Amino acid sequence: MSENETKSSIREDRDLANAQDIIVCEGVSKWFGDFQALNNVTATIKEQEVVVVLGPSGSGKSTWIRCINRLEQHQEGRIMVDGVELSNDLRNIEKVRSEVGMVFQMFNLFPHLTVRDNISLAPIWVRKKPRAEAEEQASSLLERVGIPEQADKFPGQLSGGQQQRVAIARALAMEPKIMLFDEPTSALDPEMIKEVLDVMKELALSGMTMMVVTHEMGFAKEVADKIMFMEGGQIVETGTPEHFFTNPTEERTKLFLSQIL
Amino acid sequence: MNFKNSTSQTQHEKEIDISTNSGLPPKVAALSPTEWLKANLFSNAFNSVLTVVSTAAILLIIRGLLSFIFNPLRQWSATATNMRLLMTQAYPEHQYARIWVSLGFLLFLTGISLAFWRAGRSVQLSQVGKRLLAIGAFILLATLLAPFSIRATIIWLIVGAFIVGIGLLLNPLHEDKAISSLTLLSGVFLLAILSLWVVPYGHHSYLSTRTPKILAEPGTVAMTTKLPWTIMFVVAVSSYFLGTFIREKIDETRSKAALSVSWLISPLFLLFLVLRDPDFDTGHLFSTDIPIFLFFSIVGSVLLLWLTKPDIGEKGRVISAAILFIGFATFLFQMLMIVRILTLVLAFFALAAPTFSGQKPARIRYTKVWIASLVILCWLITAINTPSTAKVPGDFFIGGFAITLMIFFFTMVLAFPLGVLLALARTSKFPIFRMISTTFIEFIRGVPLITILIFFSVMVPLFLPDGMDLTEIAAVTIAFIIFEAAYLAENVRGGLQSVTRGQHEAAEAVGMTNSQKTFFIVLPQALRVAIPPMVGQIIATFKETGLLAIIGIFDFLYIARSVIPGQTQYMGSTRENLLFVSLVYLVICFSMSKASQRVEKRVGLGER
Repeated sequence: MSENETKSSIREDRDLANAQDIIVCEGVSKWFGDFQALNNVTATIKEQEVVVVLGPSGSGKSTWIRCINRLEQHQEGRIMVDGVELSNDLRNIEKVRSEVGMVFQMFNLFPHLTVRDNISLAPIWVRKKPRAEAEEQASSLLERVGIPEQADKFPGQLSGGQQQRVAIARALAMEPKIMLFDEPTSALDPEMIKEVLDVMKELALSGMTMMVVTHEMGFAKEVADKIMFMEGGQIVETGTPEHFFTNPTEERTKLFLSQIL
Repeated sequence: MNFKNSTSQTQHEKEIDISTNSGLPPKVAALSPTEWLKANLFSNAFNSVLTVVSTAAILLIIRGLLSFIFNPLRQWSATATNMRLLMTQAYPEHQYARIWVSLGFLLFLTGISLAFWRAGRSVQLSQVGKRLLAIGAFILLATLLAPFSIRATIIWLIVGAFIVGIGLLLNPLHEDKAISSLTLLSGVFLLAILSLWVVPYGHHSYLSTRTPKILAEPGTVAMTTKLPWTIMFVVAVSSYFLGTFIREKIDETRSKAALSVSWLISPLFLLFLVLRDPDFDTGHLFSTDIPIFLFFSIVGSVLLLWLTKPDIGEKGRVISAAILFIGFATFLFQMLMIVRILTLVLAFFALAAPTFSGQKPARIRYTKVWIASLVILCWLITAINTPSTAKVPGDFFIGGFAITLMIFFFTMVLAFPLGVLLALARTSKFPIFRMISTTFIEFIRGVPLITILIFFSVMVPLFLPDGMDLTEIAAVTIAFIIFEAAYLAENVRGGLQSVTRGQHEAAEAVGMTNSQKTFFIVLPQALRVAIPPMVGQIIATFKETGLLAIIGIFDFLYIARSVIPGQTQYMGSTRENLLFVSLVYLVICFSMSKASQRVEKRVGLGER
């Protein structure tokens, strides 16, 4: 309880107005063949901010978030992450990627490694940490996501919710400045969604910069600092949760909300 | 139980019954023999006809085979007398202890490995009984079919009845009674070896005096056969117990790794140091070989320690590329082959350094791997370049089954990494790698193996630059390697494609470089998927070694087909020898395929 209070106080102490911009997108566009997936997306995300991206399927949310650690390449515009511009120069990519944690819809854990190795592999070989230190960190991260007893199991032996929590721990092990979540609960059974959302809330309270693509409206209402609504590859509307859920300005946002609420 | 008296008790018992049964599937009643026959063999008119016809065909085939094998005209003594020729060709008799030492060492490794990997499963004795019943029944049937003399018929009937008897004894045992499959196997081997001492198989020996003389007398087998095999058996069994004893005392993961490495290295060691017995030239050793080794180990270690620093950056790549360039350039100048090879190997270690870079322990470990590979390489090259003391006619010191095994081993050990490299190149992002690899693979796969073999044994030695020469055996081994590598590459590529895009993305998202992603994430998963097709390929390779006979290398098949029938005493014994050779190939391939099924289970293929 006291832990939570200190964490929420971190969150309340933030001064978002004066925080630095950590992700800057300017006029980002991307096409898959003839289909335009992103159309002139311009947005900034500040340090310690939690941004939830909403929108109907096919609206470009996932494509955008994947452009931010360059799993997809944008074709027009600029993306700056923590002061580094994403370009074709390969040397920047690995640096950016190790600063940006990513959690996938399908977890994508490494099935041939134990949970502990899943988490400690990248710190050992990318961050060049000594093995003992990396494994200790893995244990404490597993503690943090609430499954310390699963360290020696293989991913295939865990439930979906546990796998997703391991995936979060794996991303956190790189000590990233930003966490990207690409529909982290969409592949989960309903009873497992809460355990993952709880971990994400705890992460938000601890002051992590987060960008979350999700369909969990409750999470968006409760945790987000800013909600961005996308449709047709464009950001249609940006605003605080209160504004977004109670008093949206755009017709398309209203339509979307009327369909899901 | 007096449930007549109290109904409540009955109900209570029923409940217990239900609760104990609830977790288990209902038992299916076993079919009686007549029902089984009806359900499986005579279920309708067509199946009945099929059953009758195929049974008749099988019986005819068995009868034909038996009357071939037990025909008094068959010269089985040709195979028995020439066993040594079949196994090792003309390896000198007074040095034969070396063969047994090598075999003993491999059996020693086998025993220890079986213990460490906890091989073997428990087999129910009743199952063993069923097997024995079937075997005994088959022997009885075969005896009645075969055209034996009355005496032989009686002996075989007694043997068959004896086995059936044991089967009948074991069959009704409870399913709790079980033994380890290893105990069973060693029991069978023990019986076979005891029979060498007791049963009069016949005393065959080939005396290679000035005028070779062939002896075939009645009696038990020669002392030079039964004594070593008995020792081999003792070695294998005792090393198993040694393994079970020490595995509790030492770190298991480490010793397993050490065992795997010994499996890779010991054939080289046995072949080039024990069997070949090189006549090392001390002067040359101290003036050339050891200085070269020391130079590369010191310079290489310093270089690699530096290159594995985490913050080395672009400088490291430039220097590694420079070493690679120097390595290729050495081929333009006159110098020792060993220097060229070592420079190239160093270049590859340098190029891979950033992938494995890290803190001090990681860097030191990487350097240790370099020194270990250097020791093995230097020693191997030196041993190969040293003349052998084994005086043997012909250009290679060993032949027969031994050379079949040797070429098979080298092919597998070297074709595997080459195949993986080719597969990676074929799926690489760089068009030049993709092009080279695709062309190579498609070219090799489009040419018959025998063509490649003939090309390498006849043409390639002519193309070599001055000062380089390649024995026929080496040339042919290279031919096998490139052929098998091309096929293995396709198997591995299948595995690589089975690794999902999500795995690539997850590895990229945590900032792994391309080579780290390949080495830690993609390859382990790809190879696991590729196990079944690769085992198929390995078995095929083993059988393809038979082609060596066509290009005139004294392999197992060549000796059976051409050498033995050439002996005056044994003219026309080709069929007997070929039958023996097929049996050996069959036993080995069958056990490889069985072993691979166990391996698949072990790595959990299709489960995880």
